[in-house]
Amino acid sequence: MPRREATDVFSSDVIARADGLGFAYRPGEFAVRHLDLELHRGEVFGLLGRNGAGKTTTVRLLTTLLPPTEGRGELFGKDLRLCGRAERARIGVVLQSESLDFVSVERNLTLYAFLWGVPREVAKSRAEEMLELFELESNRKRKPWALSGGERRRFQVARELMHDMDLLFLDEPTVGLDALTRKRILGYLGRRARAGLSIVFTTHILHEADELCDRIGILRGGRLRAIGAPADLKREFRGARFVEAELDRPVTEAEDRDLDALLARRGPSYVEVARGPARIEFQAPDAEGLVAELAGWASARGIRLVRISVREPTLEEAFVDLVSEGASELEAAEETP
Amino acid sequence: MKLPGVVRLLVRNFESNLDLITLIVMFGQPAFLIVVLGTMFSQIVSGVGGTGSYTQFLVPGMVASQMITGAVLAGRIFWLDRRWSMVEQLFSGPFRRAEYLAALLLTTLTFALVGVGLMVLVALPLIGLPPLSPLELVSILGTIGIGSVFFGGLLIAIGARIRSANLYFTIQSLLQYFLVFISTVYYPVTSGTPVSLRAIVYANPLTYAANTVRDAFLGRGFGPGDAEAAVILGALALVTFTLAVLSFRKLEFGPIQ
Repeated sequence: MPRREATDVFSSDVIARADGLGFAYRPGEFAVRHLDLELHRGEVFGLLGRNGAGKTTTVRLLTTLLPPTEGRGELFGKDLRLCGRAERARIGVVLQSESLDFVSVERNLTLYAFLWGVPREVAKSRAEEMLELFELESNRKRKPWALSGGERRRFQVARELMHDMDLLFLDEPTVGLDALTRKRILGYLGRRARAGLSIVFTTHILHEADELCDRIGILRGGRLRAIGAPADLKREFRGARFVEAELDRPVTEAEDRDLDALLARRGPSYVEVARGPARIEFQAPDAEGLVAELAGWASARGIRLVRISVREPTLEEAFVDLVSEGASELEAAEETP
Repeated sequence: MKLPGVVRLLVRNFESNLDLITLIVMFGQPAFLIVVLGTMFSQIVSGVGGTGSYTQFLVPGMVASQMITGAVLAGRIFWLDRRWSMVEQLFSGPFRRAEYLAALLLTTLTFALVGVGLMVLVALPLIGLPPLSPLELVSILGTIGIGSVFFGGLLIAIGARIRSANLYFTIQSLLQYFLVFISTVYYPVTSGTPVSLRAIVYANPLTYAANTVRDAFLGRGFGPGDAEAAVILGALALVTFTLAVLSFRKLEFGPIQ
C-alpha cells in the first residue's frame, strides 16, 4: 500500500499555528513564551536554540502533550486544548528521549504499526523497508537497548515512519549519528517532505537545518527570536559577508595606521574578525566596496593582494550572533516595560 | 478492521515490558505458598476460620491476593513505560489518556484473573474444585474486578508521582507486603486479635476481598457482610481510580531514573 502523504488532505495551507503560545512548568517560570508561528503544508521547519531554549517544550505543546498555559494554538485547524485522537493520529513524533518496547527491533516496528492501526501486511513490508533504509537489518532480532547509541537513534526514526502522517515532529533526531547515516536520513526526510510531508525539526547541528529546512525559527530563553528562510536569516543577522584578504608582504606600522583609518571610516557596520601582519579578515555589509577600497589602499603602497575571498555568513554564524550578545540587547530592550 | 485503542494497548501491554521469568516468579510465589505453606501448616493447625484445613483457608486468600499481583505487573508496565518514554510516545499518538489508563487497569484485571485460574489449578490436587454457585462465582469475579481497579489505580497513581525507580519499587514492595500480611489472606481475625491490629486489618481493602472470596469458596454464599465489603471496596476503588485519572492529567514528561 503506498504511503498516504499530505498533499490531498488539507484544505488550508496552514497545518499548525501558535498565537502567543506559552507554557510555564510552575507559575511564572515560562519554558516557552509568546510563541507566534505558522507551519505550512509540505514545509520543513527547523527549530534552533541552545539547550533549555524551549525547543522540546514547543514540540510538546504542538503535539498536545502539554496544555498551553498562555495564548492559543491550533493543529490542523483545531484548538490545541481540544485536540484529541483524530488530530494526533495525523502526526508523528520522534522524541528527544529514547522510547522503546521490550521486544526485538523488528517486533518494535510492527508492534508500533499495530498500535497505529496499520494493517499487518503493510506493517510487515514497511518494517523491511525501514530496516533496510536505516541499516538495521542485522539487528532485527536484537533488543533495542542492546544497540549502540547511533543505532538506537536510527531505530527511533525508523519506528516513527511506520505509520502514515501529515506532520512529523523530530526532536533532535540526528544526535549520535555518524555523518553518512545523518546524510542518508536527512536525504530520506527531504524526499518525504518533497512528497508533501510537513516536518518540524529541532537540532543543534546548524548546517543540517541549513540544508533541510525551508524556514527556521531561533529560540532563546523560551522566545522565538527570529524566523525565516535560512538565507534570509543569514542576511538579516549580521547580514554582512565575510572577506578574507592576504597581502604579499607584512604591512609596516605606518601602513597599519593608514589601514585603521580607512576601516574606521566604515563605521560600526564594519567588523574586523582577525588581522595579521599580512592578512585581514572582516565582515561588512558592502563587502565589494570595501574590497575595492582595500585594493586601492594596497596598490598606493605597492602592496599586492595575493588572495581575496568573499563568502556569505553561515547559519551558524548568524545563529551564534543571535543567541549571544546581540540577543541579550534585544532581550533587554523587549523586557523593558 | 482497526481494533479499538484500548485493545491495541492491551495487546501491547501483554507483549512488551514483561518477561517470562518475571511472570513465573510473580505467579510462582503464591503457588509455592499454597503448596508448601498450605501443606506444612495444615499439619499443625486445623479448623482455621471454620475450614477443614489450613490449605482450604489459604487458597481463597491467595486467590484474592492475585489482584495485587496483577496491579504490581501493571504498575511495572506503567513505570517502565515512563522510564522508556513510551507514555510520552503513546500520549502523542492516536490514544486518549483514558484509554491508556483503561488498558492498564484491564491488564491488572487480566493478570489477576490468570492468577486466580492458576491458583485454583495449583490447589486442585490439595482441596479439589470449590463447589461454587453462580452467585458465588459472580461475587468472586466482581471482587477481583473491583479490587483490580483499586490496587491498579493505587500503584498507577503512585507511579505517576515518583521519578525514581528505586523509590517506586521500594514503595511497591512495602505496600505489597503490608497489604498481604496485614489482611486475612494468611490468617483470620479472631476475638484474640489485638484491637489495634484488627483496626488496621479492617482498614485494608484486601481483607474484604479475601473474606468475600473465602465465603464463596466455602459455600457460604453472598451474605450482607459480603455486600458491605463490595460497597467499601467499590468506594475505595473509585478513590484510587480518581487519583490515577488526576495523576495522568498532571503527568510530567521527561527523563526519570
